[in-house]
Amino acid sequence: MASLIALEPGRRPLKFLENRHLLTLLLVGALVWSLAVVDWRGPLVHSGGGAAASDFLQALFPPELSTDFLRLCLVASWQTVSYAVAAITVAVAIGFPLGVIASGTAYTQGNLRVPAIVRLCLAGMRSIHELVWAVLFVSAVGLSPLAAILAIALPYGGILGRIYADLINDVPDPPLQALRASGASPMRVLLYGRLPMALPELVSYTFYRFECAIRAAAIMSFVGIRGLGYEIQLSLNDLLFSQVWTLMLFMVALVMVVDMWSSRLRRSLVS
Amino acid sequence: MNLPVPAAGNSRVRSSFTRIYVYGLVLLFILSWGYVLFGGDSGLASLTSGKTWSNAGGFLRELAGIGSGATPAYLQMDQWVEKGKLAYHTLAMSVLAMIFAVAGVALTFLPAARNMGNGELGGTPSRLWTVLYYLVRGTFILTRAIPELVWALIIIFFLSPGILPGALALGLHNYGVLGKLSAEVVENLDPRPTRALRAAGSSNFQMLFYGIIPQALPQFLTYMLYRWEVVIRTTVVVGFVSAGGLGREFRLSLSFFHYSEVALIIFWYLLLVVAVDLLSAWLRRLARFD
Repeated sequence: MASLIALEPGRRPLKFLENRHLLTLLLVGALVWSLAVVDWRGPLVHSGGGAAASDFLQALFPPELSTDFLRLCLVASWQTVSYAVAAITVAVAIGFPLGVIASGTAYTQGNLRVPAIVRLCLAGMRSIHELVWAVLFVSAVGLSPLAAILAIALPYGGILGRIYADLINDVPDPPLQALRASGASPMRVLLYGRLPMALPELVSYTFYRFECAIRAAAIMSFVGIRGLGYEIQLSLNDLLFSQVWTLMLFMVALVMVVDMWSSRLRRSLVS
Repeated sequence: MNLPVPAAGNSRVRSSFTRIYVYGLVLLFILSWGYVLFGGDSGLASLTSGKTWSNAGGFLRELAGIGSGATPAYLQMDQWVEKGKLAYHTLAMSVLAMIFAVAGVALTFLPAARNMGNGELGGTPSRLWTVLYYLVRGTFILTRAIPELVWALIIIFFLSPGILPGALALGLHNYGVLGKLSAEVVENLDPRPTRALRAAGSSNFQMLFYGIIPQALPQFLTYMLYRWEVVIRTTVVVGFVSAGGLGREFRLSLSFFHYSEVALIIFWYLLLVVAVDLLSAWLRRLARFD
């Protein structure tokens, strides 16, 4: 409450609310407001919803483990992974050059208009969710794996570009000064200073995004693309919850493998 | 950012490991593109044909409401109001989702931090903490690995359509994401304040409220607000199946070919995204407590 009394004018401005009190107030307000918007009067749970929920949980013990189904899971996992790999490569191909431009470090530091415009483009690409892009693409050019891959690659390119730009900008300055002092052009400073120093972070963020791309590729089932999400939808429609669990565990395994791969690669890059 | 540290000794082993990982990536890349392009109909033929692109042009014109005869949705005031209401519900859904996620994380982030269980922060190591550690970490991985949309597809089996199931699905996935991040924040904390508190005879709760939370809270809030920006983008997608907010209307309008309404919905969606991005940036500044 010290802020209510300005002891020394000029040292601390008189404020009605301190920042953190304002923040607390806003967060509590958001809590109350969002709970008030929900329609609590109607039935929240389906008739038979409770039974379905317990069926669903019981289906985990055990999940469907027949050889045929496991083979199907493997095929579906491969489909999802291959679409995710394709999508992330396109995303990197879009995001890396745009990110370098957006960082404003490749050429002389003076002109800031081009980086600003590129940053705006990147923001536009990532403001629309990949599935919304996909639904729009399906309406515009029809359903195909390449359309789905492009739908993932657009927002992901936008995110990667923005993060790449920040990472390239945020490398420590002294090594760059050394390069500049020895007469390197901005391009050389980028190639021999900024990029090598930012590389571990760039790689690990790209891997994190690859993990997200696996999930994105899985939900492309919504527009009819095959993969883990597609099989989950089929099994859900048939109320085969134990199959749903198996498929979900395959997704978990994929994410864990990517996680491990990424941390190993990162470790070997840093050392 | 840390500067690269020179390798201590086994650099040859490391570099051969690196090579395996990198070769693995190249192989994965080749196989994946091979499968996408040649494993079935990739859609390359249709994407390169002129007819597809003239259809796409037609679609864009219809989004803009040109040539359909009827008044485009963005010229009708009641359409603006109606879609605005849906946007309001979508925003509420995203906030509710964050509340679910944050509430879950607040209850479980402590056992998920490795340095809580092994006594690094000054607590007493115990078997129970170790068991809880693996249990909570496992839950984080499961909830994080499953996309929001799949959670929504499952939850809609139990709950009646509306804002709530969508918020729950979003909350579940983000519980895993935020939980992992929050546990890592605690693992990277400076252990000295809590150790000092322990040495001065504080109870466990005093260590939590005076040692851990004050250090970690700004970071927690920052992550929460970043995730909110992601959640608002995903809320529409979850609405596709959980029947709440803009998402449902988006899907209906598309299937009824009411394309100018689709354009209006996308406009409201973008407005929400930009508003939440700005709001989150402002709140993040407040959360820095300076």
